[in-house]
Amino acid sequence: MAQVARAMQNTVDPKSEGTATMPAARVAGVSKYFGKTSVLQNISFDVAEGEALVLLGASGSGKTTILRIIAGLEQPYTGKIFLHGKDVTELPARERGVGVIFQAYALFPKMTVEKNIGYGLMIRKRKRKEIKKTVNELLSLVQLEEHRKKYPSQLSGGQQQRVAIARTLAYKPEVLLFDEPFGALDAQTRTHLRREIRSLLRKVNVPAVFITHDQEEALELGDRIAVINAGNIEQIGTPAEVYNNPATEYVATFLGAANILEGTLRDDALDVGGVRIPLSNRTGEFKEGQHLKLIFRPEDVVLSKNQEGLANHTCLSGAVVEETSFVGAFERLRLRIDQGVGTTCEPGDMSYLLTTEAPERSTAKPVLATRPKPIALSTPLRRLDRVFIGLTNFTILPASR
Amino acid sequence: MRHVRGFDIARPISIGMLIIMMLPLVFLPLASIFLFGTRTGLGNFWQALMQPEAIFALKLSMVTSFWATIFNVLFGLFAAYVLSRYNFWGRNALIVTISLPTAIPTAVAGFALLLLWGPYGTLGRLLQPHGIQIMFTALAIILANIFVTFPLAFGVIKPVFDTMSRSLEEASATIGATRWQTFWHVTLPSLRGAIVSGALLTFARAVGEFGSTILVSGNLAGRTQTAPLYIFAKFNEGQIEAANAIAIVLALFSFLIFSVLFFARDWFDVD
Repeated sequence: MAQVARAMQNTVDPKSEGTATMPAARVAGVSKYFGKTSVLQNISFDVAEGEALVLLGASGSGKTTILRIIAGLEQPYTGKIFLHGKDVTELPARERGVGVIFQAYALFPKMTVEKNIGYGLMIRKRKRKEIKKTVNELLSLVQLEEHRKKYPSQLSGGQQQRVAIARTLAYKPEVLLFDEPFGALDAQTRTHLRREIRSLLRKVNVPAVFITHDQEEALELGDRIAVINAGNIEQIGTPAEVYNNPATEYVATFLGAANILEGTLRDDALDVGGVRIPLSNRTGEFKEGQHLKLIFRPEDVVLSKNQEGLANHTCLSGAVVEETSFVGAFERLRLRIDQGVGTTCEPGDMSYLLTTEAPERSTAKPVLATRPKPIALSTPLRRLDRVFIGLTNFTILPASR
Repeated sequence: MRHVRGFDIARPISIGMLIIMMLPLVFLPLASIFLFGTRTGLGNFWQALMQPEAIFALKLSMVTSFWATIFNVLFGLFAAYVLSRYNFWGRNALIVTISLPTAIPTAVAGFALLLLWGPYGTLGRLLQPHGIQIMFTALAIILANIFVTFPLAFGVIKPVFDTMSRSLEEASATIGATRWQTFWHVTLPSLRGAIVSGALLTFARAVGEFGSTILVSGNLAGRTQTAPLYIFAKFNEGQIEAANAIAIVLALFSFLIFSVLFFARDWFDVD
């Protein structure tokens, strides 16, 4: 229950305070079945004006289906879609005023860049002068003036994407929907375009929803991220929130590497394979005997030969270095928690109390840690060195099932 | 890849055999048309060609094939759209039925049309009291042409529909276009190549049609006699030069269409 409560806390939109600010787009209670298989269950979220929301999830998580339902290309089984307050659930795609940027851009191959961009206005029967003016403005906005007479096949992937964006902006859409927009591009173009699109979106102030499976992209692109797993939103929050305070184990492991230590709550302390961590300020949340997980990221780890070196950080335990590897900008270490003599965290004001039930007891799972290059060089560590592990940040979640 | 040490005799022998086999079967028959026709000089060839019945036969062939092509291309477009976009019970049966006419002997096709539209035919008997007779007119030829060339344009256009990316149509829809606007501005331009090659194929086949035409037209010289029928009739009458003149024209015409279809292949391809 506590886990559900925590997750819900993060999925109900914190931005909608009362009814004062209307969201640009709202998805309410959407579910979807393909045949008998449930693809989406009770999806609800808001997109604020000018916001970039990222739907992050693995293939098959349902994120593309959500996008297509918002666009009107699929119908939901239950639920409603609102665009600027208007219920568009029953409207066909062409009456919704959404702008979709498809994965392969879907530019019309027999039309020039100009004609592609002007298409939306042309079918709305606007005057030629107006079309020309808007097309010119958009061409300069996406910096493609010299390519106006070219055909899509003559453009690079990045250029095609800019045409696709300009094409939707021409008819002033309510919201922009990007379907894995950077999938077809190489890594360098991808990073470059991400930044370009972010600044472009800020300039035109149109809300956008992005779909991706790339966590790095999500962190860089989104004002908020919604992590989707098997048709459910596990957490919505700012990049910092979902990364540093994951609401579920899935979110923790999807957004980056994570160490997960399982334990049981006994006598107000977390018992992790013999190592006990008192949870004095958290007991209200969890029950005696409940299985819990301690989650922390490799970069949250601080290592020191003696406990004093951990300063104000939480001392987890003593450990033995199993392996170190140099990965350019930082050092990667694998450690084994080992409560041998001389490597037990001493109690102190800021550190958690650690008692061992059995000496020489080690946990089964290794701990992964990374250290920045300067620190790795100033305090080198080798295999079989004994260290203390301190944590700068961690999350405790109930173990599911 | 090398198959043997030294010179491989199989290569020139196989190529030579291929040409030798094609000689009596294909090359020589084609050559005979031109050799015979020009044997007595181009003047005679021209005179045979300028006979009113000959000119009428050529004109009739062109006109009837033209209308049959127009109908079959439009229908093929429509059928390809419906059968590619919509899924319904019996869809595959319909697709097979459309392709059936090519499997039916043309004489059988002509006979079947007579049974339907002839004076005592299933539908023909309803029209007779009103003085309407479809058989033994140019309209009958058009109907026969439509039947035998039915699947040709469809068969060229449908694969293009099937492989066309749905996201183009979805993109057009999300931009705000109606189904008709999408079809006209987005789908049709991509079909341009298939439509043209389908039309050429249909037209060439219709011009050359004989088996069904000879039954439904009545073969009336100067009234319902198409070019192939003319050749047949003149040959039976022993007027070889007359038959030959039209044969040359038809052969050249077929070469022309074939060349366009072959050399403009890339332009026809969908991108």
